[in-house]
Amino acid sequence: MTAENICLEFTGSDETAYALAASPGFAKDGLCFAATSGGVYRSTDGGDCWESLPIVEEQSVPMAATALAVSLAFAQDRTVFAAVKGGILRSSDGGDTWFAAKFPAPPPLFTTLAISPDFAQDGLMLAGTMEDGVFSSTDRGVNWQPWNFGLFDLGVLCLAASPHLREDETIVAGTETGLYRSTNGGRAWRESGFPSEFAPILSLAYTAGKDGALLFAGTEDNGLFISCDEGASWDRSAPDTLPGSVNQLQILYKPDGGAEIYALSEDGVLRSRDAGRNWDFLVGTEVPPTAILVPDPSGEAMFLGLTGVGIAKYEF
Amino acid sequence: MSEKPPFHSRKTYRPGLVFRPQAQENIKRGLNTLVSAIRPTLGPTARTVAVTSLIENKDTPEVLDDGGIIARRVIELHRRDADVGAMLARALICRQNERMGDGSATTAVLLAAIYNGGLHYLASGGDAMRLRHHLERALGKSLIALDQQTYTVEGKHKLAQVAESICHDADLAKLLGEIFDIIGAYGRLDIRKDHSRILRREYIEGMAWDSGLFSRDMIVNRAELQTVYEEPAFVLADFKVNDPRHIMPMLEIAVDQKIEKLILVAAELSAEAMAGLMMANGKLKNFQVMAVRGPGSNADDRATAFEDIAIATGAKTLVGAAGDSLKDVTYEHFGWARRGWAGAHNFGIIGGKGDPRKLRQHVSRLQRWLEQSDDPLMREALQKRIGRLMGGSATLWIGGVSEIEIDQVKTLAEKTASAMRAAVSDGVLPGGGMAYMNCRSVLESKSQSGDDPDERAAHRILLDALAEPARAIYENAGYEPGEVIARLSDADNGCGFDVLSGAITDGRELVDSAAVMKAALRNAVLTAGMMLTIDVIAHHQTPEIARQPG
Repeated sequence: MTAENICLEFTGSDETAYALAASPGFAKDGLCFAATSGGVYRSTDGGDCWESLPIVEEQSVPMAATALAVSLAFAQDRTVFAAVKGGILRSSDGGDTWFAAKFPAPPPLFTTLAISPDFAQDGLMLAGTMEDGVFSSTDRGVNWQPWNFGLFDLGVLCLAASPHLREDETIVAGTETGLYRSTNGGRAWRESGFPSEFAPILSLAYTAGKDGALLFAGTEDNGLFISCDEGASWDRSAPDTLPGSVNQLQILYKPDGGAEIYALSEDGVLRSRDAGRNWDFLVGTEVPPTAILVPDPSGEAMFLGLTGVGIAKYEF
Repeated sequence: MSEKPPFHSRKTYRPGLVFRPQAQENIKRGLNTLVSAIRPTLGPTARTVAVTSLIENKDTPEVLDDGGIIARRVIELHRRDADVGAMLARALICRQNERMGDGSATTAVLLAAIYNGGLHYLASGGDAMRLRHHLERALGKSLIALDQQTYTVEGKHKLAQVAESICHDADLAKLLGEIFDIIGAYGRLDIRKDHSRILRREYIEGMAWDSGLFSRDMIVNRAELQTVYEEPAFVLADFKVNDPRHIMPMLEIAVDQKIEKLILVAAELSAEAMAGLMMANGKLKNFQVMAVRGPGSNADDRATAFEDIAIATGAKTLVGAAGDSLKDVTYEHFGWARRGWAGAHNFGIIGGKGDPRKLRQHVSRLQRWLEQSDDPLMREALQKRIGRLMGGSATLWIGGVSEIEIDQVKTLAEKTASAMRAAVSDGVLPGGGMAYMNCRSVLESKSQSGDDPDERAAHRILLDALAEPARAIYENAGYEPGEVIARLSDADNGCGFDVLSGAITDGRELVDSAAVMKAALRNAVLTAGMMLTIDVIAHHQTPEIARQPG
């Protein structure tokens, strides 16, 4: 497999992309976003050129953005969210203008954003933080409330919503010390059966398989774990191929109904086409990758955030 | 108008012994008298029982539909032999009500059915001890059959359905379903009276204790009567801080470490020490301190509260009994949280920065103690501690048009909440007596082909008794039990009879708490077995007035 590497540098030479997200209609509109140490960037040409977005008025120094989420009904609502220190910014015009939601002091440091698969109807979003647990919004990100019943560890590193959220209301949260599961849309949490000695959990992903949902958990030092019973029990996936950290996971649903899973390790990107049983090493990187985005079901393009470099685009 | 006589008058009786069969017949009479008063309250179409007031000069009788409360009100039967049977049943029913919050009428009906069946068998020459032994063995099989029918409920809608099957109040059930969906089996729920006319709920983030600032002078936000610190440090002193000089090392560490907000939680604080802290607030730049009274009404309560705060914040408690003093404080004694707040009567922590693993282990330990404890006070205290440490609490505010209505709904809500905890923790069973009916199949073979007559009798007695709660529910709703049972036998497996609609429905639409149903059966069988072995009643000359069973 060959990949053409086009490395794009941001305005600041040492910027790092923490999160990447694309419009669900990326194949047509070529729209994607990056949350970086230098703020939020947008590309409208399939990731070839990136522009810095003015997320805060009269901003003198760049404000780091740590997480991103794009509405699944982006074509209709043009809604994008970006997490910055102390707040979550919401744009309803594809990133041209931004509005900040208020949070209680001291300012939370957001680590992750999760958006409901049914966002157009339920308006549900969740935000994980380093010290304040989970905030939830049920009005499309306008107002946020902390919902931490049963969440003993308030250092939330990743969140994932069930693909059947409307029916099962299930959301999982990965923390420094274990995995928590909510079956009421994030209002209350219970510890799952994830073996806590393998925590912290850095990444989570759900697949809606034919035989039920699979849940993937990427750890900091112990590779990837898979659960086929909603987190009650876990098996380690490919310990030889994925021995260390799994920083991010992305599920890509193919037009034929199959799913590919992309895992971001400290050396590059691995891909599985058989529900995590076997993994191919797809791309290696010289610097640690920090974020991954495969924006289109065709899988012909992939973006990687690279530490201190910017974003690399790979075309297959 | 003549004066009413005093309610209690110490009676004297002729002492003596009463032997079988008279003793057993009279116990049966007393038991059946009490159970007859409770049986009409079983099921969603519960009838009521009017009980004349226990309070002098209060003529309005109480109208009750709760078997546990009715049993509590019956403090003595006129005939002494019958009173023995009634009081044994009363103790069981009250205990079921106190421990589980529900299932008291079911327990009563089961108890009467097993005792009556057992006595009938003993009259034909059966052996009481062997019958008891076989009843307990049959109980084990029935409990396993109940376990096999048990399933968990999740989600506010299903939990509301469980709540409604307990309280038969749709509005209350809806709120309790939502609350238990959030707080789970161990979360903290306060049920309080409200001045409004409606039911409402409120959720509070973080941990909170009923203990406040030593001085109102430390209240910063006068409008909300509380002080809130961001990123505060905590020092915990489980003793009285007398000497103002002892607070100096704590303040020095705070200044050295650039701590801007400090909360001192102490068992007591002298006026001089308080003055020292107030002076620090005025003189030290970028530094604020507040002093909070350690929670708990006694030393033991306070020690447990300090333990919880220490684990939540990562602080190390200075313990007076161990010889610690505030002058010994080091930086390692400090704990941390994202926010801390205190008012005149309470204080709280949001986002404690203690080790989450230790917190989880601590909560698991408390949950184990709660499961093992039978002491109601201990259970209540443990429940509160666990609820706090879960990171939030819920309050259900009970409003209504009159004080009487509010009191009634509050009692109902408390009872339902207690049963809901058990349902969330231990799962649910098919309701309307169907779970017991479904157990009968495991007893059938031994009831016909057991090794000895006592074994066959025990299985037959329990088999018959297990149908009795369903029969009582159908009767109370105005149906002929035999007809309903015949309709159910023609229906598919897993079906139940909804007495409200009069239709055969999916058994999962009618639910009961598994813990309540299992406790009712276990207690009824064990108590009936014990009562069947009573051959002789001994009467004292001046019996103690019946008390609440403990």
